[in-house]
Amino acid sequence: MALNRKIAYIDLSSGKVETKPISMEMRKKYLGGRGLDAYLLYNNTKAGVDPLGPDNVCLVSAGILVGTLASATARTHIAGKSPLTGYFGSTNMGGFFAPEMRWAGFDHLVIRGKAEKPVYLWIHNGEIEIRDAKDIWGKGVRDTQSIIREEMGDREIKVMTIGIAGENLVRYANVMTEIKNSGGRTGMGALLGSKNLKAIAVRGTLDIKIEHPVEALEYNKQIISQITSAKVSQEQGRLGTLFIWGATNSQGLVRTRNFQLNQMEDSDGIEPETFEDSAFGMTGCFGCQVHCRAKYIIPDGDYKGTYDEGPEYTSIGAFAAEPGCTDLTTILTGNHLVNDYGMDTLEIGSMIAWAMELYEKGILTDKDTDGLDLSFGNEKAVIEMIHRIAHREGLGDILAEGPLRAAEKIGKDSIRYQVHVKGMSNLHSDERPTPALALGIATASRGSDHLRSRPAIDLYHLPEAVLRQIYSQPVAYEGPLTSDYTDYEGKSWQVFWQEMCYMAVDCLGICKYHTIFLGPNFPNFEEWSKLLYYNTGLELTPLEIWTIAERTNDLERMFNLREGLARSDDWLVDAYFDEPTKLGIPLIRDRVIDRDKFKQMIDEFYAFHGWDEQGKLKPETLKRLGLDKEPSHLL
Amino acid sequence: MVWRRGRLILSEESRQETTSERTARGRTHGAFRCLNCFERIVPPEKAESYKCPKCGFEWRVSWPSPTIPRIRGPVWETNRRLTDEIMAKEKGQGK
Ligand SMILES: [Zn+2]
Repeated sequence: MALNRKIAYIDLSSGKVETKPISMEMRKKYLGGRGLDAYLLYNNTKAGVDPLGPDNVCLVSAGILVGTLASATARTHIAGKSPLTGYFGSTNMGGFFAPEMRWAGFDHLVIRGKAEKPVYLWIHNGEIEIRDAKDIWGKGVRDTQSIIREEMGDREIKVMTIGIAGENLVRYANVMTEIKNSGGRTGMGALLGSKNLKAIAVRGTLDIKIEHPVEALEYNKQIISQITSAKVSQEQGRLGTLFIWGATNSQGLVRTRNFQLNQMEDSDGIEPETFEDSAFGMTGCFGCQVHCRAKYIIPDGDYKGTYDEGPEYTSIGAFAAEPGCTDLTTILTGNHLVNDYGMDTLEIGSMIAWAMELYEKGILTDKDTDGLDLSFGNEKAVIEMIHRIAHREGLGDILAEGPLRAAEKIGKDSIRYQVHVKGMSNLHSDERPTPALALGIATASRGSDHLRSRPAIDLYHLPEAVLRQIYSQPVAYEGPLTSDYTDYEGKSWQVFWQEMCYMAVDCLGICKYHTIFLGPNFPNFEEWSKLLYYNTGLELTPLEIWTIAERTNDLERMFNLREGLARSDDWLVDAYFDEPTKLGIPLIRDRVIDRDKFKQMIDEFYAFHGWDEQGKLKPETLKRLGLDKEPSHLL
Repeated sequence: MVWRRGRLILSEESRQETTSERTARGRTHGAFRCLNCFERIVPPEKAESYKCPKCGFEWRVSWPSPTIPRIRGPVWETNRRLTDEIMAKEKGQGK
């Protein structure tokens, strides 16, 4: 059955491997994926653990529906204390790794210690072996996977790996799989690097028994039609996530030249439709019908003729809007480099754009940049800085440390120009006109984050009646809701609801693009209840799934509180409140976030969670969610 | 959705419309919302740009499929001019 996959404890210091079953009790409390990882992280680390030390754990998991007959169940989750923020570190990637890991018999890996020399894990049908990584250490993401497959003589092996950036402990290094499936944000690649763990290779042929196969297939057909018939899926299937650019930049919701402007004017040359000329078709992850990943060849420049996949919406921000560049080749090359070095696109784009503003202001000079002209719009400088950060050369070594450490090293007034929350940079979105989106990044568990609670559909101007249908289940809600995305009313509930929605799919292992992230008519708690039952036999009502999401979100909060998080960390940098937007449509011009109203939103958000004014869980909340005995060490 | 344990398979309630199926009935093809006034507008087939009949903002249009128009970007000059006019007027009114 789908629920008999095991958990493995791997100690890289001693070489000891131990496997255990996962009890039904734990499944019903945390499902799997990010949910159970929250439990494992809280239970397997002590407060103040060094994120790059041997006592931090690296958790790798598959969602509970991964590899079943449910669509888009491809997601791998990786967690640990973040080397970037010092808080909850977590990332989620698509591709084919997680299904293969389940077919190899495992749902969760708990990796601790540090190997004496570089190693990789080989997991095959219930067996786990620690192997020498001398042939792959120092290699890029692509080569690492090819070498392992070649050495083992099996092209079907799936590999998650770090690139050079992870080996060099760049604090926002990714874990990667395939060409471009990226486990970005919070530096989980550096966590693997700190353990001398280069990669994990898996191959499995153990069937997952589907509990009610006929119904599971029949029902999934409905889900597929629901998803593929949506306009947003068809746009995505044609243009990938780049399609979002049309709406956001047209209105003025794009952070440009670090955070100086909110729109990239006259940027027709980097629109998704322009990129279509370099692409030749789309591809997708395991079990997905949308296929949002473009295949392309770099048309020009030093990397002309190189194949890669993507770029994503975030790549336009990182390599165009934020550094003020306008050449498509820079986006395609930048995307290729971060994929192969294994680095977070969003963070690196933000760090380079920040350095460019410091250069403009004279805080950084040619002496600091070793003569590199870091002016906004210098396409070559963007590419050069990607290399320098991955290899930790010169200024790159400082920028590799992430927003707060880099600002401390550079000093002067440099922190003033950072756009971060909890020490993690945001993507290239400008949330000054959109309080709901601003609340999401301010309060997300892993720092400034658009994937943990963002009500992106707030930008669609949906009729209030539609919003009410979506946001009034599975928990009744009768408070205000408004189509106006500049409003503050009711937005804290939307953020709270989306936080539960995204946590639920992260536990299930479903891609967010198959939920109410970009598409208002996409599946949610009701559908997941059925998918779970047909595929695994686990009987949980929509409300019970919601409660699991609440529990796991709160456990992430408890981890952060244990690491010293305070209410003041759920906040935005001053520019959000003090520097009005300058461009875009009239609705978006001259916008800042109102401090008092924002404080009130945070109060409401805490109240929905059952947290006190300081953002700590109230005793009754701990009890209601069964968290009052944590850490309970049950697994 | 009514949900009772052990009755999900082949039961009446399992066939009841879910929230997302209900909201999907409001989908429209051939139209998009103007990104300035949010009016739902229908550009002529294959149009490369279209001026919103309600607010006058003009959008460059692309067609991911023959029935799905999308806003590719603004007609910069038109929208900048209109925005400047609106902002100047608002300033004049002390807004
Ligand atoms: Zn209009």
